[in-house]
Amino acid sequence: MRGIQKMILLGLVSIGLLIMGVSCRKENPNALTSELLPIDGNPLTSFRILLKIGSANDPTGKEGLCQLTWSMLASGGSKALTIKEITKQFYPMAASLSLSMDKEMAVFMGTIHKDNLEKYYGVLKDMLLNPGFREDDFNRIKTNQLNFLEKTLVNNMDEQFGKEMLNLMLHEGHPYGHYEAGTADSVKNLTLDDVKSFYKEYFVQGNIIVGLAGGYPPDFPAKIMADFGKLPASFTPRLSLPKPHIPLGLEVVIADKQTPATAISMGFPVSLTKADKDFFALWIAGSHFGEHRQHVSLLFQKIREERGQNYGDYAYIEHFVQGRDKFPALNRDRPQQYFSIWIRPLANSNRHFVIRQALLELKKLVEEGISEERFRLVRTYLLNYTKLYAQTLSERLGWQMDSRYYGYQDFLADVQNALPKLTREDVNRAIKKYLNFENVCIAVITQDAESLKSDLVANTPSPVKYANPNMPKAVLDEDTVIQVFPLDVKAEKVRTAPAAEFFQKGGIPR
Amino acid sequence: MLRCTALALSVFLLLAVPTKLQSSSVFPYNYKIEVLENGLKIVSIPLNNPNIISYYTIVRSGSRNEIEPGKSGFAHFFEHMMFKGTKQVPRPAYDEFLTELGAGTNGFTTDDFTCYFVVFAGRNNLEKVVRTEADRFINLYYDEEMIKTEAPVIEGEYYSSVSNPDRRLSELLRDTAYEKHSYKHTTLGYLKDIQDMPNQFEYSQLYKKRFYAPDNSILLVVGDFDHSRLMSLVKKYYSGWEKSNYILQTPVEPPQTKPKRAHYAWPTQTLARLAIAFHGPAYSDEVGDKASLNLLAATSFSPSSPLFQRLVNEEQKCQSLGAGFNDTRDPSLLVLNAVVKKDDDLPDVEAEILKELERIKNEPVSADILADIKSNMKYSMADALGTTDGVAGTLAFYINLTADPGTLNKLFDLYEKVTPKDIQETAKKYFVSANSTVVTLTGGKAK
Repeated sequence: MRGIQKMILLGLVSIGLLIMGVSCRKENPNALTSELLPIDGNPLTSFRILLKIGSANDPTGKEGLCQLTWSMLASGGSKALTIKEITKQFYPMAASLSLSMDKEMAVFMGTIHKDNLEKYYGVLKDMLLNPGFREDDFNRIKTNQLNFLEKTLVNNMDEQFGKEMLNLMLHEGHPYGHYEAGTADSVKNLTLDDVKSFYKEYFVQGNIIVGLAGGYPPDFPAKIMADFGKLPASFTPRLSLPKPHIPLGLEVVIADKQTPATAISMGFPVSLTKADKDFFALWIAGSHFGEHRQHVSLLFQKIREERGQNYGDYAYIEHFVQGRDKFPALNRDRPQQYFSIWIRPLANSNRHFVIRQALLELKKLVEEGISEERFRLVRTYLLNYTKLYAQTLSERLGWQMDSRYYGYQDFLADVQNALPKLTREDVNRAIKKYLNFENVCIAVITQDAESLKSDLVANTPSPVKYANPNMPKAVLDEDTVIQVFPLDVKAEKVRTAPAAEFFQKGGIPR
Repeated sequence: MLRCTALALSVFLLLAVPTKLQSSSVFPYNYKIEVLENGLKIVSIPLNNPNIISYYTIVRSGSRNEIEPGKSGFAHFFEHMMFKGTKQVPRPAYDEFLTELGAGTNGFTTDDFTCYFVVFAGRNNLEKVVRTEADRFINLYYDEEMIKTEAPVIEGEYYSSVSNPDRRLSELLRDTAYEKHSYKHTTLGYLKDIQDMPNQFEYSQLYKKRFYAPDNSILLVVGDFDHSRLMSLVKKYYSGWEKSNYILQTPVEPPQTKPKRAHYAWPTQTLARLAIAFHGPAYSDEVGDKASLNLLAATSFSPSSPLFQRLVNEEQKCQSLGAGFNDTRDPSLLVLNAVVKKDDDLPDVEAEILKELERIKNEPVSADILADIKSNMKYSMADALGTTDGVAGTLAFYINLTADPGTLNKLFDLYEKVTPKDIQETAKKYFVSANSTVVTLTGGKAK
């Protein structure tokens, strides 16, 4: 009875707030929160059910449990319907419920036409609120997670492997210090009871933000809030994070495998997030240095365009492991971030040269900053490029939720306000404050790791041979500097291990 | 608690997806098609969304056009060269132009076409984009040394997926299934041809003359602009582009007369892969074979199909199962593929897929299932067409095939006409043993 009263009360409050169109802030941490973006007349509705719980909440020894649990919700049956029945219902609607996972956040997403809104929500609601937790779903999803760790990640996708290696290096002994999927050893030991316990503990009102965008009926949010309001009224306090690992000098981990191409990621923690006023200044620096998959990137110009070394070279001022999409990623919010450089695979013969080149360019960025001309150009670029950022309903909703996380009314609107006020000096100050070139973690996947280690430690010259016998003199002149650019790599700071040993146990293989 | 926010981002209004979906309205937007005297076709779709314009140039040249030995991957290579600039707007100036514009820009190459897109904000920028893009297509300039520097980038692109067994499987499948047609190789091309690209300056000039011409290209412009303004700009800047008049003779693939099989031993651990392919028809919005096959693919191999449910969710032999029946200009492969968890299950999975193809020949698809499939296709398409760039990106693939956006509605009308009997008949026609190619891939031990 109390539950019903509570539901009715909640519904009335919700409808009242919607009618008033006011913005309200959460005061009770145990209560459910919503983020609404009503667009009258739009035939679509997008859902983003956001959990403020990610892999950092995995219990020690049960790494991968969060991903497994949330995957059981997104890809397993509900109490009422098997996954077969759910698929059968979703299919004619072209509907799905997808999951995006990160260290401190996970989000369930779906978009549906209004023809099917009620039916879709009915299924989604049961998937999330009344999960079936069937043994056969558990076996399927756990096996897929395990196969990914044992076979796919370290054998079939070296670019992703390198990025996740870097994450391991930056977060040894830290709650972020394991991959979202866990390790092969930890996942093997996970049980269905572990999943049920994790769900019970963490799938609670205070950990959830219900996001809705589009042309849903006015009373729809209240209905959802009433449904999700039946979850236990509690919340999980934010994790108290230790400081991330600050590399001392150049720290290198090399995964050894039989491959014609070398994948490289490097980076270090940065003490800022989107919530900091310096974010916009550093964003200009990051975009100038390595805008994701765009020609504006200096690294792209230097490594790919001038020298033809590989397919692309980029840099990021916060966690970003996506191959496509635009930087920054949505709903992967964290209070601790890191700067990274992604060098796409290149011929093994040129690996030493390109590691040197990336670090030399980083050194120049830190020491010389950005020129006035580039500052103005990149600022204009970001002002215009970000206008393309929220084209779908789901993207708009995701941005709205991230705006809230970092304390903005509207982050993308603030980009338009903040960037014109910045000066080159602001950007160069931010570069000096947050970036460095001497204390960097470097993750490499290559063949004959020991020879790379020897070359790095001995600072062996690393000249490059080009297909073009008439390379521009300016490039060749630069190369004479790059190929002997001294890197202070100490032998004891270089670890090598067979690629197949990564992600099988916790941390970096010994 | 509820949090309700006003439409602060109102600049990003979405398109009006149809409020009731019917097959004849799957592509609901008004469009205009005009052709310049030099043969350049312009497909113009002004939309009511503010601010964003997607400007696509579609050159109807892809792997299909790589008909000479040693030239595999050339369409893709030329895509890279198209970013080298002109004498008037050299590469650095072109990059600066795109940077100032804040455009989302890139290119991609498929079996049949190469597409260049510039997605940007601000209708006032339209003339700059038309002028600059016209200049680069008419006056592209690069020298031999630029080719030698760019060619290794393709090798780098090859390296970026060198650890991916799916790419290797696709290469092996095409190479085994085709004898003569240029679909025999992937868009990246054979590694030996990629490594010879630095020496292909002269051929690149011939390639440009043949295919980078207005009579082989389509401009697709979608978004916030006025049609007459667009046309006056296009006439102003593209009229000087010279016709090619080149007629491509793609090799005709001879009928396959016996089943083929190949295997690849992946050097490290991986889940096993299986691909079963049959030579199928080209895309058509008039003849029902391809439409029937597309419906068959969904009926038998989509996540809602009984076979998928059994192999993926119940028996859990497969991590994934699917059908890839691409819409192409020339007849191409109908591919059924699976990622199999245990190598030992490969023969079982292969047998199950073949058994399903036999079943579909003998048992008519139920009306309910067919209705579900058609419904899925309509809602999927409506979702894909929900933004400016969604319209352009989706349409590029169809415009390449027929040069007319109307093909989408014609195709969906054709789907409506397909009967269970049609599906049975097309299954009998194409899924015969002599027309099949089976390719498998298994991994080695942990190293």
